[in-house]
Amino acid sequence: MTLYISATFKELTRKRVFLVTIILTFVFLILFAFGVRELAGMGGQNMVSPAERLLNSMVLMVLGLFFAQFLASFFVLFSAMGTVTGEQENGLLLAVAARPIPRWKLYLAKWLGHAVWVAVYSTVLFVSVVWTIHSQTGFPVRAEELLRGYGLFLWMPLLLLTVTMLGSVYLPMLGNGICAALLYGFALFSGLIEGVSVYEGTHPVIEKFVFLTGLLLPTDSVYRRSLYELLGGADWAGLAMADMGPFSMPSVSSNAFLLYTVGYAAVLLLLGCRAFSRKDL
Amino acid sequence: MMMIDTADLTKTYNGRGGCRGITLQVPEGSIFGLLGPNGAGKSTFVKMLAGLHRPDSGRANMLGLPLGRPEARRKLGYLPELFRFQDWLTPAEVLRFHGRLGGLRPQETRAPAFRRRIRDTLELVGLSEAEDRRVGGFSKGMQQRLGLAAALLLDPELVILDEPASALDPVGRYEIRSLLKRLRSKGVTIFLNTHLLEDVEELCDEAAFLYGGELLASGPLHKLLSSTGDSGSSGANWRFRLGGWLPETWAELNDGAGGALTSLLHLVEADESGNALLSAHVTDREQAGYLCSIFIRSGLTLYESGPEPNSLEAWFLRMAGSRQGGVPQ
Repeated sequence: MTLYISATFKELTRKRVFLVTIILTFVFLILFAFGVRELAGMGGQNMVSPAERLLNSMVLMVLGLFFAQFLASFFVLFSAMGTVTGEQENGLLLAVAARPIPRWKLYLAKWLGHAVWVAVYSTVLFVSVVWTIHSQTGFPVRAEELLRGYGLFLWMPLLLLTVTMLGSVYLPMLGNGICAALLYGFALFSGLIEGVSVYEGTHPVIEKFVFLTGLLLPTDSVYRRSLYELLGGADWAGLAMADMGPFSMPSVSSNAFLLYTVGYAAVLLLLGCRAFSRKDL
Repeated sequence: MMMIDTADLTKTYNGRGGCRGITLQVPEGSIFGLLGPNGAGKSTFVKMLAGLHRPDSGRANMLGLPLGRPEARRKLGYLPELFRFQDWLTPAEVLRFHGRLGGLRPQETRAPAFRRRIRDTLELVGLSEAEDRRVGGFSKGMQQRLGLAAALLLDPELVILDEPASALDPVGRYEIRSLLKRLRSKGVTIFLNTHLLEDVEELCDEAAFLYGGELLASGPLHKLLSSTGDSGSSGANWRFRLGGWLPETWAELNDGAGGALTSLLHLVEADESGNALLSAHVTDREQAGYLCSIFIRSGLTLYESGPEPNSLEAWFLRMAGSRQGGVPQ
């Protein structure tokens, strides 16, 4: 299994496209830090109350992590969309799959190889955004909430990775990339729709739509729960997120739903192993 | 022991293409050539052996074990036809990666002995000078050599090569042929899927011919060459070089033999100075002698008469032609 972690690392560090990703991420983080510093300075000049400052910092946190999860998701989509059919089409898999290693192990090793570096990338994004806001706005960070929020923030791209890799067993590389991006966009969109609908009460049809989309690709639900935990759970999150337009959060997924996502990912991984084992290369 | 032993091995794609009912044996220590035109099902068969395709039906053993068993695949070296290695790795890193995939532990692939093994293998295929270059900058021929190095890295007992020399220049092909001969002398069994008939002619002890997904012939190369594409007949192709040939000679010969000659004889070439080359498929020497007597009785000069040299190309064309409903001339 460690073989693919180091192989993926070499791929990430030596391919130019990933170098560009790292540079652009770095630029994003610098600009974000600069923006947050400016906004925090404006707040200080205007002599806002501590409660307002807390609310402002929460808004910044929501926006920062929204873009961070966006970047993490695109990192997953671009690195994993051709895992099986892409490598089959360009011939990379042929010599590998003939080796005496069971296909299911190969699939899990590839998942793990991607997962480790997706987690590293997401950690860099999460820590950078949270640290920037904490240091510039004084946003209170409590270890327990931070860990819960961080764990769920990592889980979101890993879920997307699992779905994308399963798709790569069946669909050609480009088709899978489009399909996974659409699914992800669909989940994101449903979350935004739910946020907007908070003003006039959530319509039952929208509720069902959000629920079904969440079942199909629960990334947005997991991301929102991550935010909820990071922002202080029931103590503070409701305060900040009830009036943020599309970023509002009228409801958060339950622990049972989080368990469902774990089972969902496990089933998708098993399906991927099975399908890859039976695939003619 | 038979290194490859298949019985009625079948793989089709939604009932079409692929190969059907392939039964063949590859003896230990031999070089076995798989021949056939494009679309004959050769690659499907090779991919089944390499574990890349799942057979629909039939039975197959490789190195005495059922197909797909890791124990057998550990002793297999495989060079795919259309493959690529990771562009961002060096040849040494590719081989280390394949060493790990082949079952070596991380510390084993870092050991001096394995590093030496990598260097030796790269030298064997003529890539020692490119050891530290990224594979992304390799030509197709160099990629092919690296593929061969990966196949030979772990001292396989059976090597399956799918078009190993297709991207190589004449020097490269000569080197690969020499390498395969050396491997055979060490007892390695080689299964060769190639379009290069001269490679088969020079290297192979046995061969099989696939056409339309079916196995038409299989066995020692010399026996195959002495057979014809038409499984219902035997004999040999005979050539006659004649002098005194005129445009009307063909019709006169036919009239003299009651029209029977057209089904037997074929005019290969004739020039204005009266020289002609004829060929015929005869059942035995006596029939060839009878034709010679007809030529002489007709006033022609018989300069030369004898069996056609049996080239693999001629055999290949006859085999393919016999299935297309005519013998290509």
